[in-house]
Amino acid sequence: MKQHEELESRIETLLADPAYAGHPLHEALASLFECYREQTRQIERVSRIADRYQDAERDRGLSYAARYQRQLRQVEKIVRISDRYQNMLRDMNQRLHWLSSRDELTGLPNRRHALVRLREELQRLGRSGGQFCLTLADVDHFKSINDGYGHDVGDRVLAAIAHGLSEGVRDYDVCARWGGEEFLLLFPHSSIEEVQSVLGRLRRQVAVQSGELLPAGAAGLTLSFGLTLCRDAAEPLDAILQRADQALYQAKGQGRDCVVIG
Amino acid sequence: MQDLIVEGTGSIPAIRADWEAGCVVMKGDSYPENAFELYQPVIDWIEAFLAREDRPLRLQLQLLYLNTSSIRAMMDMLDQLQGAFDGGRTVGVEWRYERENERVAELAEEFREDYTFPFDILAHD
Repeated sequence: MKQHEELESRIETLLADPAYAGHPLHEALASLFECYREQTRQIERVSRIADRYQDAERDRGLSYAARYQRQLRQVEKIVRISDRYQNMLRDMNQRLHWLSSRDELTGLPNRRHALVRLREELQRLGRSGGQFCLTLADVDHFKSINDGYGHDVGDRVLAAIAHGLSEGVRDYDVCARWGGEEFLLLFPHSSIEEVQSVLGRLRRQVAVQSGELLPAGAAGLTLSFGLTLCRDAAEPLDAILQRADQALYQAKGQGRDCVVIG
Repeated sequence: MQDLIVEGTGSIPAIRADWEAGCVVMKGDSYPENAFELYQPVIDWIEAFLAREDRPLRLQLQLLYLNTSSIRAMMDMLDQLQGAFDGGRTVGVEWRYERENERVAELAEEFREDYTFPFDILAHD
């Protein structure tokens, strides 16, 4: 570069020197020098344009990369938030499912849930045999508790009995509120004798609770039970329930506070 | 520019964009069949407001559930606000949630990440 500049400067000096004016080579050198200058300008211009194109391309590439990075971050954020919303919905769903299978007053499984468990138990019987016991329990003279002490006391009695019953059975037994003052107890893998012993314990427990729940002098709380055994997976669920219900009816007829096997 | 009013239903939020007040309010659940169709007018409205006015713009949200395409639209709107904020404008978001629904607040916090403009998450009873 420096050489070029020196040469250019030498030629300019020579061309400007009046001593060489009019020499035939002076005009030829002047024309050649002008031609050289023009071509140099052209080359510089072309390089400048090419450089600008390259810069623009590079910037475009960088902005694509930046935009890609930004969009990637956005997508990641959307996915993250969306997953959290889905988790929230799943939890709400589970909560609703739980609520739909519970009785609000007693916190026990409700009739719907009890029916689901009964059907499952029958299916299990069909697959692997065995037996289960079903009991319907009804609070004796519950109407007179409601009438005599008010619905608040009646509700408390139901909740307390529900608590006592569910605490008194095994983890894999089912204790559900069947409706009103009636409870359903399902005892998988159990014989009549085993369940009779459990029911005896439950009856004693209710008698203890009675003193805590009702005013002094009130008639003691008792339950009547209809108990039945199921070994036949082909037996309709309604028939099993009806058998337990009839046994309960008989228990009521026999003076209440007892267990009748149907 | 006119106010923008969308009646809410079970699946789309109620939307009120008030030009005079410089305020956009969105309330409810958002799982529309076509989120683009629902939110593009809101995005256009915000763009017009930011272009034609130099007054502050406020976004008031009370959203419970958003489907994925609504989340995307929401982020587009928040990006608009961030752009305006970077350009020196006064913008802000208020995200209100029911006090017992803490998870909605956590989600609002997820949205707030990466933004530098005022973004308040407020509990109400």
